[in-house]
Amino acid sequence: MHLLEIENLTKSFGGLTAIKNVSLHIDEGEIVGIIGPNGAGKTTFFHLISGFLKPDSGTIKFRGEDITGLEPFKIVNKGIARTFQVVRPFRHLPTIANVMVALNSPRGSKKIEWLKTPERKALEMLEDVGLSEMMLEPAENLAHGDLKRLEIARALATEPDLLLLDEPFGGLSPIETEYLTKSIQRMHMDGHTLVIVEHKLHALMKLAKRVIVLHYGEKIAEGTPEEMAKNEKVIEVYMGKAK
Amino acid sequence: MATTYPRRIYTSFITNIVDIPSRLVALLCFLLLLLFPVTRPGTLLLYVLTYTNIIAIFAASWDLLVGRVGQISLGHALFFGIGAYTTALLYKFYALPLWATIPLAILSGASVAVLVGFPSLRVKGPYLALVSMAFPLILTGLIFYFREWTGGENGIWGLPRFFPIGFFTQMGFPYSEALYLQKIAEYYLTLLLLLASGILLYKIANSKIGITFISILDDEQASKSCGINTTKYKLMAFAITACFASLAGAVYAHIITSIGPASTLSVTLSFLPVIMTMFGGIGTIYGPIAATFIIQTLDLYILRKVVDVPLEWHPLIFIIIVVIIIIKWPRGIAKFVTDKFEDLQEARELEERGKHIWKREKKKSSISKG
Repeated sequence: MHLLEIENLTKSFGGLTAIKNVSLHIDEGEIVGIIGPNGAGKTTFFHLISGFLKPDSGTIKFRGEDITGLEPFKIVNKGIARTFQVVRPFRHLPTIANVMVALNSPRGSKKIEWLKTPERKALEMLEDVGLSEMMLEPAENLAHGDLKRLEIARALATEPDLLLLDEPFGGLSPIETEYLTKSIQRMHMDGHTLVIVEHKLHALMKLAKRVIVLHYGEKIAEGTPEEMAKNEKVIEVYMGKAK
Repeated sequence: MATTYPRRIYTSFITNIVDIPSRLVALLCFLLLLLFPVTRPGTLLLYVLTYTNIIAIFAASWDLLVGRVGQISLGHALFFGIGAYTTALLYKFYALPLWATIPLAILSGASVAVLVGFPSLRVKGPYLALVSMAFPLILTGLIFYFREWTGGENGIWGLPRFFPIGFFTQMGFPYSEALYLQKIAEYYLTLLLLLASGILLYKIANSKIGITFISILDDEQASKSCGINTTKYKLMAFAITACFASLAGAVYAHIITSIGPASTLSVTLSFLPVIMTMFGGIGTIYGPIAATFIIQTLDLYILRKVVDVPLEWHPLIFIIIVVIIIIKWPRGIAKFVTDKFEDLQEARELEERGKHIWKREKKKSSISKG
């Protein structure tokens, strides 16, 4: 049984079909990359999985259970967490409290180890992404790169089985990108399954073992990063047709 | 164990209240109010302060809903009115004692809040504010329609007091003295209720639930993506805040002994907490309480008894003061005062552990440079 199984997913906004008959599956312990040019429907795809948008047709199954069209918070409590392309911190709350919101959720509070306080756990989550020094700083004072990491810590606080990262490297400096790559690798070692949407192919190629290419809402190719780099269709989508 | 217990209470009192300057100020203000009747103030001032205590509970409850959860309600008088009318009607038709009607009033306030909270799940921000404005008007309409029971615009009269006059005359006080003592007893009762509700609201606002409330205020979508059932929390916020507002309404009914739609459901009453919160500092809980004491005594006592200003001029003077304060300290007076004290505290901390902090700052800046 696959961890996540998506069949014939379709979503349209008025006349525009953002996602067209996409079927794919994700297995436990994988890092899967989703790439595609601007407007390919990558973020819409994430919104559909995480419940922020309801699909027109198709099914999404998580561990064999149908989760199509459930409320976002229910999906999180089933074990799928996500981050946002544009950071969405709780600006008035201190950094540590941002993580504690996720620990207040039913799944988050259930996953706290025995004899451990939520504060302690939140601090550990911040240590994992290197933000523990800023723990009492209100989130509005954090730099963009720090906010990106805070989003990941917040998503990880619910101990998801599947983590969806929406452009985690967007707007990061090369050093920060490298740092984040390492912490994503560490998350993978810890046994998290990850799906990453990314523009920066270079960073993604290092991480993902399997890449899915979307173009105008359709899945046009799937395979290892090396295969994709040679795939004619993919090159055509990114570079234009060779004449 | 027995010997350490008072000691533990003492140390927790010192560390949680006395050591924090802004809380110490709050404690001193409370002690001032507690000792105030010793000066034997006039009946009017005592009455004004009793009324202020009730309105302060009401304003603080609005602050929890709006300042902490971001659900703007401009019809908060609804809960005040529900509280007042529930206790009055229960007394009128079933002659229930006070200790039974007030909890029932709180309960009915909370259940109405859950019903009223449902629109808030559909509409947001200014639209919710407009929708919420309609609710007290709807209840007023119902009260006028069922005038045989509710008394229509005349309201309900002759509600029992908390401390009947016989209670004091039996103790051997002359009648005039007993009347005064009754006022003092009511003052203390409302003051203690204010203290209890203030602490409770502050505790809720800073608890685990309070953190979740702020997350909804900041970004509801992100809060959902953290696995928070925002619907549940929003309804919970409505229910909690309505409990305190209807408590204020029910206590008001038994202090004034008569209620009517004009005094418990008016638009003025709905806007009172808005002004108090803006004046005192939004999202602080203690801000609106402090602001209520300043504005109410100014409006009801100083401008009437100390400086004799014609009643028609009150709104103008009142608005000028509020606008000046809001321009000068946009975060509210309470926030301004605590900021002053917190700054002092930070400075003291720097003095004590200066070197240590300095080292850490240096390290941080070298990291960000590297």
